Amino acid sequence: MEERGRAEASREELERLIDGGTPYKFAVASQVPMPPTRNPRSAIHAKSPITEEVGEEDVGMEEVSVAIDRQQPPWLNGVELLEDAKWNKHVLPTGCEGIDILLGGGLREGQLTEIVGPSSSGKTQVCLCSALGVADLNLGVVLFLDTCNSFSSHRIAHMVNSQSDTLVKEGKEGRLKRIMSSILCHSVFDIFELMDVLHQLECKLKHQVKSSGNRIRLLIVDSISSLITPILGGKNSQGRLMMITTGILLKKIANEYNLSVLVTNHMVGGEGGSLKPALGESWKNIPHVRLVLSRDQGSNICNVSILKHTIIASGRAAKFVIDN
Amino acid sequence: MSETSRFRSTEGSHGALKGAQTAWDMLSEEQMQKHITTGCEELDAILGGGIHCKEVTEVGGVPGIGKTQLGIQLTVNVQIPVECGGLGGKAVYIDTEGSFMVERAHQIAEGCISDLLDNTAHRLKDFPACPERLQPNSFLSNIFYFRICSYTEQIATINYLEKFLEEQKDVKIIVVDSITFHFRQDFDDLALRTRVLSGMSLKLMSFAKKYSLAVVLLNQVTTKFVEGSFHLTLALGDTWSHACTNRIILQSV
Repeated sequence: MEERGRAEASREELERLIDGGTPYKFAVASQVPMPPTRNPRSAIHAKSPITEEVGEEDVGMEEVSVAIDRQQPPWLNGVELLEDAKWNKHVLPTGCEGIDILLGGGLREGQLTEIVGPSSSGKTQVCLCSALGVADLNLGVVLFLDTCNSFSSHRIAHMVNSQSDTLVKEGKEGRLKRIMSSILCHSVFDIFELMDVLHQLECKLKHQVKSSGNRIRLLIVDSISSLITPILGGKNSQGRLMMITTGILLKKIANEYNLSVLVTNHMVGGEGGSLKPALGESWKNIPHVRLVLSRDQGSNICNVSILKHTIIASGRAAKFVIDN
Repeated sequence: MSETSRFRSTEGSHGALKGAQTAWDMLSEEQMQKHITTGCEELDAILGGGIHCKEVTEVGGVPGIGKTQLGIQLTVNVQIPVECGGLGGKAVYIDTEGSFMVERAHQIAEGCISDLLDNTAHRLKDFPACPERLQPNSFLSNIFYFRICSYTEQIATINYLEKFLEEQKDVKIIVVDSITFHFRQDFDDLALRTRVLSGMSLKLMSFAKKYSLAVVLLNQVTTKFVEGSFHLTLALGDTWSHACTNRIILQSV
């Protein structure tokens, strides 16, 4: 424990040196859990609390830079990358036929997929469908981070019951319980809470056994834009910083622990009255895949088209149906 | 959170994320949950049994359509005692337009009580304590009324509610009549308005979840020009349209 305490202190100092110690950022930084120090000695040797004499600052800097150098990750060659993609980066079905065909199977693990669309265009529906799809096939656990109380277990139960007359080998109740037990829901109402949950998740994933059956496979944030809108804009750029940090963290978790991440975003009026995705230019390049949903008034057919994809040409479109 | 407690929370096999719940648990909780009736069967049917707790419902309509009426009705209906199939809760009414009429609330309470006595008299025999509670004045005393005169006051009140709800655990509904009014009057910076409003809606969402209460936001309407014709839509723009769980619009036929 002693060792951890000291390591924490040196970590804090490191953060302070890198960021110039603004209190705002620091509040976030203090929530960051300790990364595993590759070499425990570096943490012990790094200088402890800043209350020491000014003269020793240079020595401290040097040790900090040594500590930074040790953070360098190992390199991979192309063959290893291919192997990784083949064995660890599977494709998770969304449960919406149109989208699965469009995306060549569904949501890819290790990637961040974003769904944008106006109000009531079917974003939450796609999220619930994907959660159901992953849970139904016994692929693993789904974590649903809900920011606008839109997660409805009732709706999922309804979807389960309506499709179960096809191939039911197990009892209706048993199937429902199995599916519903592997969907986890967590309410999040501000960006700091989201960061905290993501750090907790990272910690949890780090310690979980690799081959265990119920590992978390899919992380859904519905919707990420409602957390970011209140802090974005205005004169200071801290809101943007938080947004980018969240994006980076989501992508990191996706890649390192082979998770598929699905987030939803809303749309705002752009030039000439046409709609465009919210969160602006800096967010634009964070998701790997961006899908746009739209729905004609009064119909239950949703149109989905690709705005950005890593391997599929953008502009392709498909349709899927929401049934009541 | 300290490092040790974080490790402890990750020990379990799964579901160990602090504050997370499985959908299975939520489903059984949801099935137990009673809804607040609007007093109109058809409207209840559209809403899936009435106004749901833990959700934010937005109601819009042209002036005079009965938004405030519905708001007052809900503050009364939420107090229907548990023995009569209600929630037996209390209500918070945030009035920005000054349209809350206490005489009307008294009338509605009287109407509600006489309905209850007619329909559930046989059930009430078993609960002798009820008649004293079934008085219009006791209904009125359980409505907490805030009169808001500027958007600053509105922000402050929403922030204060956090403390208020901590003390008054019985509150089962918050009605804001209307969420729009001050923000449509004297607010030039639209980007700032969006930020303030979305922050406010997140706050209300968190109350709804934390105290398992219903939030009803009354909103004004505006017309929107889409594909050559005008449509009636709820005010406050596209970003706001994502802020609520349910949105309904009242129209006369």
